[in-house]
Amino acid sequence: MKRVKVGLGTCGLSAGGQSIFNKFREEIRDKNLQVELCETGCMGMCYEEVLIEIEDEYDSYLYSKVSVDKVGKIVNEHLINNNPVKNWIIRSKDACSEESFLNKQTRIVLRNCGVINPASIDEYIAKDGYKALENVLNNFSREDVIEEITKSGLRGRGGGGFLTGLKWKLAYNETADKKYIICNADEGDPGAFMDRSVLEGDPHSVLEGMTIAAYAIGSDEGFIYCRAEYPLANKRLRTAIRQSREKGFLGNNIFGTGFNFDIGIKEGAGAFVCGEETALMASIEGKRGVPSLRPPFPAQKGLWGKPTSINNVETFANVSWIIINGQQKYAALGTQKSKGTKVFALAGKIIKTGLVEVPMGITLNEIVYDIGGGIKGGRKFKAVQMGGPSGGCIPAGMGNLKIDYDEITSTGAIMGSGGLIVLDETTCMVDLAKYFLNFTQMESCGKCTFCRIGTKRMLEVLERITEGNGKNGDIEFLESMAVKIKTSSLCGLGQTAPNPVLTTIKYFREEYEAHINEKKCPAHSCPSLIKYKVVDELCKGCRVCIKACPNRAITGLLKQIHVINYDLCNKCGKCFEACKLNAIIKV
Amino acid sequence: MEQVKITINDKDIYTSPGKTILEAVHENKLDAIPTLCYDKRIEHINSCFLCVVEVEGINKLVPSCSTIVRSGMRILTNTQKIIDTRKTALELLMSNHYADCIAPCKMNCPAGVDVQTYIALISMGKYAEALTLVKEKNPLPLSISRVCVRNCEASCRRNFVDEPVAVNALKRFIADYNPNKWIPVIKEKKNKKVAVIGGGPAGLSCAYYLTVEGYSVTIFEKLPELGGMLRYGIPEYRLPKKVLDSEIKWMLDLGIEVKTGVELGLDFNLQELLSEGYNAVFLGVGAHKASKLGLDGENSTYGIFKGIDFLREIQLSNIPELKGKVIVVGGGNTAIDAARTALRCGAESVKIVYRRSLNEMPAAREEIIAAQKEGIEIHFLTNPKSIISKDNRLKSIECLSMELVEGKPGERPRPVPKPGSEFIIECDYLIGAIGQSVDTSFSKFDQSCTLRNSGIVVINEETMETSIPGVFAGGDVVTGPLTAITAVAHGRKAAMSIMNFIASGCAGLNNGKFFSSKDKLAKLSAKEFDHFSKSARAAIKELSVKSRVHNFKEVDQVISEEQSICESGRCLECGCSEYYDCSLRKYCDEYKIDVTPYLGEVKKYLTDGRHPFIFFDPNKCINCGKCVRTCAEVLEVSALGFVNRGFKSIVKPAMEKPLMETNCISCGNCIDACPTGAIREKYPFKVSGILPKENYETICNFCSVGCKVNFKKISGDIFYVSNTTAEIKDSHNKGYLCSKGRFGHRYLLSKERIMHHAVKIKGTVQNVNRDEIFRYIHKKLKSIIDKYGRDSIAVFGSPKLSNEELYLLQKFARVGLKTNNIHSFSNLLYGVEQNSLDGMVGFTNSTTSMDSLNNADVIVVLNSNFSEDNLIMELKIKEAQKKGAKLILFGSSEVRLTKFADLWIDGKKGTNTYLFNAIMKRCLDSGLIAVEFINSRTAHFDEVKAMIESTNIPEAIEFSGIKPEKFEMFFDFIKNLNSNIVFVNNIDSNREKSVNDLKAVADFLLLTGRIGRNDSGIILLREFNNSSGLMDMGVNPGFLPGYVKPDENDEISRISRQWNSELKDIFKPVNLVKKLEKGEIKAVLIFGEDPLAVKENVRYFNDAEFIVVCDTYYTNTAAEADVLIPAPSYLEQGGSFTRCDGTVQQSTKVNKGELEFENWQTIQALASLFSKGFEYNSAGEILNEIKNVNRFYKYCSYNNSWLTNYFNNGFKNQKLSFLEYGIDFTAFNPVKPVIHYPENYYINNIKMKLL
Repeated sequence: MKRVKVGLGTCGLSAGGQSIFNKFREEIRDKNLQVELCETGCMGMCYEEVLIEIEDEYDSYLYSKVSVDKVGKIVNEHLINNNPVKNWIIRSKDACSEESFLNKQTRIVLRNCGVINPASIDEYIAKDGYKALENVLNNFSREDVIEEITKSGLRGRGGGGFLTGLKWKLAYNETADKKYIICNADEGDPGAFMDRSVLEGDPHSVLEGMTIAAYAIGSDEGFIYCRAEYPLANKRLRTAIRQSREKGFLGNNIFGTGFNFDIGIKEGAGAFVCGEETALMASIEGKRGVPSLRPPFPAQKGLWGKPTSINNVETFANVSWIIINGQQKYAALGTQKSKGTKVFALAGKIIKTGLVEVPMGITLNEIVYDIGGGIKGGRKFKAVQMGGPSGGCIPAGMGNLKIDYDEITSTGAIMGSGGLIVLDETTCMVDLAKYFLNFTQMESCGKCTFCRIGTKRMLEVLERITEGNGKNGDIEFLESMAVKIKTSSLCGLGQTAPNPVLTTIKYFREEYEAHINEKKCPAHSCPSLIKYKVVDELCKGCRVCIKACPNRAITGLLKQIHVINYDLCNKCGKCFEACKLNAIIKV
Repeated sequence: MEQVKITINDKDIYTSPGKTILEAVHENKLDAIPTLCYDKRIEHINSCFLCVVEVEGINKLVPSCSTIVRSGMRILTNTQKIIDTRKTALELLMSNHYADCIAPCKMNCPAGVDVQTYIALISMGKYAEALTLVKEKNPLPLSISRVCVRNCEASCRRNFVDEPVAVNALKRFIADYNPNKWIPVIKEKKNKKVAVIGGGPAGLSCAYYLTVEGYSVTIFEKLPELGGMLRYGIPEYRLPKKVLDSEIKWMLDLGIEVKTGVELGLDFNLQELLSEGYNAVFLGVGAHKASKLGLDGENSTYGIFKGIDFLREIQLSNIPELKGKVIVVGGGNTAIDAARTALRCGAESVKIVYRRSLNEMPAAREEIIAAQKEGIEIHFLTNPKSIISKDNRLKSIECLSMELVEGKPGERPRPVPKPGSEFIIECDYLIGAIGQSVDTSFSKFDQSCTLRNSGIVVINEETMETSIPGVFAGGDVVTGPLTAITAVAHGRKAAMSIMNFIASGCAGLNNGKFFSSKDKLAKLSAKEFDHFSKSARAAIKELSVKSRVHNFKEVDQVISEEQSICESGRCLECGCSEYYDCSLRKYCDEYKIDVTPYLGEVKKYLTDGRHPFIFFDPNKCINCGKCVRTCAEVLEVSALGFVNRGFKSIVKPAMEKPLMETNCISCGNCIDACPTGAIREKYPFKVSGILPKENYETICNFCSVGCKVNFKKISGDIFYVSNTTAEIKDSHNKGYLCSKGRFGHRYLLSKERIMHHAVKIKGTVQNVNRDEIFRYIHKKLKSIIDKYGRDSIAVFGSPKLSNEELYLLQKFARVGLKTNNIHSFSNLLYGVEQNSLDGMVGFTNSTTSMDSLNNADVIVVLNSNFSEDNLIMELKIKEAQKKGAKLILFGSSEVRLTKFADLWIDGKKGTNTYLFNAIMKRCLDSGLIAVEFINSRTAHFDEVKAMIESTNIPEAIEFSGIKPEKFEMFFDFIKNLNSNIVFVNNIDSNREKSVNDLKAVADFLLLTGRIGRNDSGIILLREFNNSSGLMDMGVNPGFLPGYVKPDENDEISRISRQWNSELKDIFKPVNLVKKLEKGEIKAVLIFGEDPLAVKENVRYFNDAEFIVVCDTYYTNTAAEADVLIPAPSYLEQGGSFTRCDGTVQQSTKVNKGELEFENWQTIQALASLFSKGFEYNSAGEILNEIKNVNRFYKYCSYNNSWLTNYFNNGFKNQKLSFLEYGIDFTAFNPVKPVIHYPENYYINNIKMKLL
């Protein structure tokens, strides 16, 4: 029997996946077809959504950019007449137009995403789900589990990169009447959506990972702290937990081994700082999400004062794979100190935006060019921004940098949770720094002086610079303030908030200087510092720009060179976008 | 515990593990690490980051307040990096601190006079203090208040509401109120000489401040009299010279030498002065040289004067007659002064010619208006061009019309002549008042100081020093013609520099104080002042035009006292109330911060004064969170919280509601928590700016918990409660207070005081002197004794009196009056079981101290609502819970504490005794009783055992209505014989209770061996602060001091001997209520109680022929008294008070007060008229006698519980008796109307507003 899988992750849904799913259901019902229709999670190729996959006994065919009006044809030709619509298929057994995107990837965390129906525990079980847990409970001592994970070299995927096995060991070493496992699913970096995709596409892998961790440290209760802005992830998690309890994989006496563990969901209200583990725990406890000083570390005094191990979604999703395939196989991937794979959310000025999982050690250039297909519009690759607001920029010149925790840290950026934003020559680095600082500034919990007011004052200086009011000493002010904020903030948010500013100053100081000294934005991006100009030689007098201008700032008769009236121009850039002759330029 | 070795700034120290770096550093006094968010009483949170230090091996700075020491840690606390970081932290905080440390009026006063504070003092009626304060910065208030340019009023924030506060008028009011009365204390002579050249405001002020500091000053003045421009430039009708003379005389009388008629350059020079032994010279010769008009014939034509010369001449010689028309040229104050003076010299008409328009006119607006009212015409945009004379006598002037063109940026518009606009004005006299300058002729004769081209003397603006070391200058001579107040300011500033110069050879001043100012951070808008209601500015009365234009009488009149009170009420109190105590500001000074590089967006918040007693100014909040955590963690109320994130985060009441609509219990502990002025008390008086405050720690005089309370005294009798000192945070209540303790003491500010001894004869009250009144009382009591016998007199004392007063009172009754009619209405009338435990241990009092709560395993609260009655007891219980104690609550209805209870026994009213019997049966049945203790230490066990055994447990449970499992839980909590169980009960509580609860509890404690054992027992709270002391002192007919009962013959004999008075026949039980009802009491002496606050009580006094009331306040009872004796207030005398657990604490005398005696002296004086034995020289002697007479008080020492000491020592051999009682199912509500002024005040004035 044929099976139609519609990608209904958030990316699929926002591309209109639900109506396509409905349309298929309608067609199948109307035409009384013997076809199974199901949903699946994100397949990673978000740039091709809506994706649907049709499987039969021999092959599977991946259709991209499916719209409602295409459904009829696919049903008629492929489902009824067994005649796949070749033009719309991007991957099948015979041909794959997306090889470059897929070939360099190694899918461990995303192994089931876009493959199974996340709402079905049976499909997860069919993919060896809960086998690792069964194995661990029956055949591993708690120390064995910790050793296996330690040896695999798995490091915390939330950004810190702390050795997961070691973290568990610390919690294991504590004696207490109660211990907690927490899954940090408070993914808050702008542009990052790895955790969401895993939770939406393969929730059971996270539950299984948590249960194994709980066994290892001796915990009987866990929480998933997931932001309420992820409604689908929360729904999938609730379903998964219910199913898991029904099957006896959660609850009392799991697999008859006498081990008890259960998981609750705590929906976060969307405060970025709650991704910080002490703030996250405060939030679970019902308090304002405000970080507190470590030590004591959560492993010693965590949730409600009890030893607690907090790991990220992606970290947990690795665990059962490692148990099943053995730590050696995992450790074989990657570099000396960074093992396994890393999931990245590719975004920005890149052709193929989406979710990719790559082995550690791959270079930036490989990600940008081979997987991401290079820069949009044939423009020049300028830099990547990694690690979200806590991270930094790595210039294109360092494209051969290997994806490795320590290598990335040495640039001033961080691995972070996996946001990877590609920037081209039209991106103003001061503006970028401003964007991220604005984010952290707004998301600071407001407790510590430096983070609360210092970031605000830095932001004001950046705003001034991008508005053409920068003055001598501004860069030095930013640098000195940045260092003070980094050394005198309590939690990771404050300690890393100045990173985007520091790395852009480090690699693109001349851009700052151009803003301040010459009142110019080299990327032609800051509205206050640019002017739109008609290139007389190229203007054919087509009036397109005149129609596009909302302020009637452009005048000119048909077939005569047009003129911009700068008193009226508000630099919205509509003319620039409208002109097909490149006759309007930014200067 | 093993100590941890750490190294701080290269010094090795040992400290206990678990300490934070900050604690270790502060404990060892190694450095004063600054912090704003640290409070040792709550969990640290580190927000301010002021306390950062460096730890070797950590590349960040760590907050020392929350970093726990580790062995081997190497810490640096004062590197440059640390100092820079702290400085930046402060600068960041202050860059978003939209608030004024000091008010703009003070900020903008050239002399820095503390305007807000003197206005506050005026509003309190403290005129003398206000004037003294003015004189700290301005020694010439009589004169200045008549002539000042009033920058204070220009910058007054009230301008945003309506009109500025009439600051100058207020100053004049206090200056005129009692002129020159206050004399400053002159410091010891320093034998240093200073020469002051020029006797104007600058010179006088310099001379004054130097003289006060002990320097010998000589003033050299060119003109015949002192006063400078005040005398020779300001006309009489503005500043009467009599006033100026008196002020100068007041100053000279301090010992200033004066030489007049001597001129610098001619008669002496600067170098001579210095070589003649003057240690320093002040040059303040002013700017007396008038500018020329620059017209041809100006000097040679008769009828032309220069303004300032004209004014001076009038002062020097007689007033000339100016018949004819006068024209004055100019637009400044001198022009107006000259014009109005000319009018008063008889001019036919006076016109002013001014080349710009009204807007540009520099003269004071009021002066211009006054001149116009007097008929003086002003020709604007007019300028003289030439003089027309005949026979060398002025006939008229030719003028030009002018028009204004835009001037240079920041300058006034420039007048330019309109061509061809010439016209003629006829006149007989022309006065040119277009400016003055310094007469620099002195410099020609002298090796003089450097001058600028304009003729002014060059000085170092910081120090006022001229180019010649040791020579200082100020006033107009350094500024050109400016204002009198600037001259005064310069004089004072120079005086300070001169003192530095003489002391150290260097004039450097160190005035680097930091002030936050709203103006520095943002532009103010009227919207911020929307919530202030408008009120009219005080109108200054002036003489009518008719009655003033022909003479030199002073035109402006002083405002009335009513006006001044009303006007002072208009002050918006811009300066921070916490100026003096603000840690933030202190650190800003210390770290010499500069906010300029950090200026940016500022969050502006509206202040919130909706709570009747707590005022919020979120602009001043620094997000330290101490208030939030105190409220949440200590009080467990959570009325405050943070809202928003990032730069916008701020503390607000929960859900951003008005505080009164949250859980807030109005305890005000957030006020003390706040390190700035963001949360402050809404004082019942005006905020007084930067006046220093003195701390006085004493004991709260409300309930029997006996909290330590700190009064901050502002000025004289003005004070408020503020528990912010380090010492008070170490007190047993850790400085926490309830709303009674915090706001209730406002009764002490009440003016309803009894201040005079008074007698009511035939319905009229007459003040009588003290001796006479005592003789009168003696006579009256004698006659009543003669007529009705000794037992017709009764004495009543308040449980708010000190032990000394109470002891003396009962001794007065028993020894002096020889009656046993001694009691307290509080205990007498409302049937509270004050004797429940007498049968067990001999007295009804606590058997363990409040400290035992710290080690309690189980705390049982009986029928009490501590949230309302004894909040601090509730906090102690909550703290004990955090240490692991379980809380069991007995009470039929829910109280606030219920939700914190581990078990709530919610039995029906009146059933608790029964339940206790059941629980005792359960203990007996389980064999969980202290057999050995019972056998060796108790009596009457068998009788009680029989009663217990007859209890039917299921019946008792059913009868009480509680769930059976609760009974079992209760048993589980208390069954362990080794656990510490503390029962807590407020014996005076208004809540329902069953009659014999306490007896049952006592039996339970005996049954399980918990009497006399540390950390177990019962704590009995009482309603008033010395309710326990009152019983201990024997203010009760039932027992003598030390609970000596009528059957204790040995003890009675002992006390009789000590008192030298036989008590056997006197000390007999008596039912005073009955005697009162029957009218057998004919004379009543009431000390500190107000039984007539309850109307029905009148029946007790129907037959009283003589009522003596000794009290501080006018109460209902005082109104009925035949004799009134004033008593000092609680703050005006010391004394010892015994709190609920027998701890004796000493109260402090905070105010001197106006009464010259303390209350014990009143009782002593009265008693001495009746008997010997009252010869005490101090209250301390009385306490010594108490220790001898009261058998328990030999165990007492300050801040120690006599009860604990007694149970640990004397108690060992005493047999304890089980108490027999029946079960009475009738619950009773002791209805207890309050009969004490402070409580009534609290209920009527504080509590009412909080409901």
